[in-house]
Amino acid sequence: MGEQTKVYAPDGAVGSPAAAPAPPVPVLTGKRIGILDNAKPNAGALLERLAQRLVSRTGAVLGLVETKNAALAAPDEVIARLQSEVDLVLAGSAD
Amino acid sequence: MTGDAPLLLDLTEDDPCALMQLYDEHGWGDGLPMVPPTPQRVETMLAGTDPDDKIAVLPPRSGIATRRVIAINAVLAGCEPAQLPVVVAAVRALASPELNVRGVNATTHCAAPLLIVHGDVAESAGYNSGLGAFGPGNRANASTGRAVRLILMHVAGARPGPGDASTQGGPAKYSYCVAENTARSPWGGYAASVGVESASAVTLHCGEAPHNVHDMESSDPAPILDKVASAMATLGQNNAPISSSEYFVALCPEHAAVCASAGWTRGHVSSYLFNRATLPVAELRRAFGLRAWAPWQQALADDDRVSMTEHPDNIKVLVVGGAGKHSSVIPSWGMTKSVTVAVDVQ
Repeated sequence: MGEQTKVYAPDGAVGSPAAAPAPPVPVLTGKRIGILDNAKPNAGALLERLAQRLVSRTGAVLGLVETKNAALAAPDEVIARLQSEVDLVLAGSAD
Repeated sequence: MTGDAPLLLDLTEDDPCALMQLYDEHGWGDGLPMVPPTPQRVETMLAGTDPDDKIAVLPPRSGIATRRVIAINAVLAGCEPAQLPVVVAAVRALASPELNVRGVNATTHCAAPLLIVHGDVAESAGYNSGLGAFGPGNRANASTGRAVRLILMHVAGARPGPGDASTQGGPAKYSYCVAENTARSPWGGYAASVGVESASAVTLHCGEAPHNVHDMESSDPAPILDKVASAMATLGQNNAPISSSEYFVALCPEHAAVCASAGWTRGHVSSYLFNRATLPVAELRRAFGLRAWAPWQQALADDDRVSMTEHPDNIKVLVVGGAGKHSSVIPSWGMTKSVTVAVDVQ
């Protein structure tokens, strides 16, 4: 048995965290729903169906549908349009 | 950790098995034994360079890769100090926006960053560019590639599951480093061909493990390169639906010599492969409902053939390996571009 020693942790510090998600919207009635379709197979159909169900059950309205590449971040102008035109966004689907 | 300096932990003894047990408790390590990163070993690795020099911030964890943190992972991987400048350059390249390391870590694809070492440092730091260059048996290749992977896992947070969604993973995710055989390249070094005029450089290309191309008999370029084109033109690669994707073609010295002795330049090889690595448009349309193709490719008719990439410049050619007649093709993940940067050998 050797002597106790010290070793470094390998992970290093964490930089500025990514932007935190907005708080949940407590009541959807009258709110505008956006879709950010990441173009994965069936993502558009899944998100649109989900939005339709929310619209029919809560009185929300479908405000905007945008498409982005799944492998890249959404362009700034897409994020800006969503920020200005809707209250919540349904986003993303995996493979 | 969230402070500026890495944490120091108590290790029961200076032993790889003890380290694995300690690191397992934190979810660190790649599953293989590692060299304990004691302060003394890390200081030796740093060789007097500034430990707090911030080299990059790596997603998805937003981990800060200082020179000290890079040195810690280089020690873990088994690197020698001569290899640290190569690892540091690789981390700089990882942070280039066009490489899209966030996507590389997040994808379900098996992509791993292939690190290619060019120029003087390949020789001075002991990298293998000859026989078996992609394989085991050389400390510099094995440990440098492993250090890059450990940095991705520890600093970037690319652990299978929360930070790396690869469906099957892949052996290239353990260690993937090779040196260019510049001495046997009839076209000079690769880095200079993409505008990096430095005595030493590295390239990162995020793609699959090498696909072998075997031609024992041809004394003309075309039959050899037709086999390369055949390895490129398959439906299973991400290059098929993503036309901006690159290929790296690692010709063995003998195949490269056949091409050069016929008067073919590096550009001629790329152009030939661009024209020969094709598939029927109808077959690709049947295979992929979603195609990230260039507009000119989208306009082709079903009975046309289409190149596997939208431009010959996306086919990158260099020389790797020793005696024998086996070359290789390294397809891309797709939504990434290779990056070549100078190595600052201090």
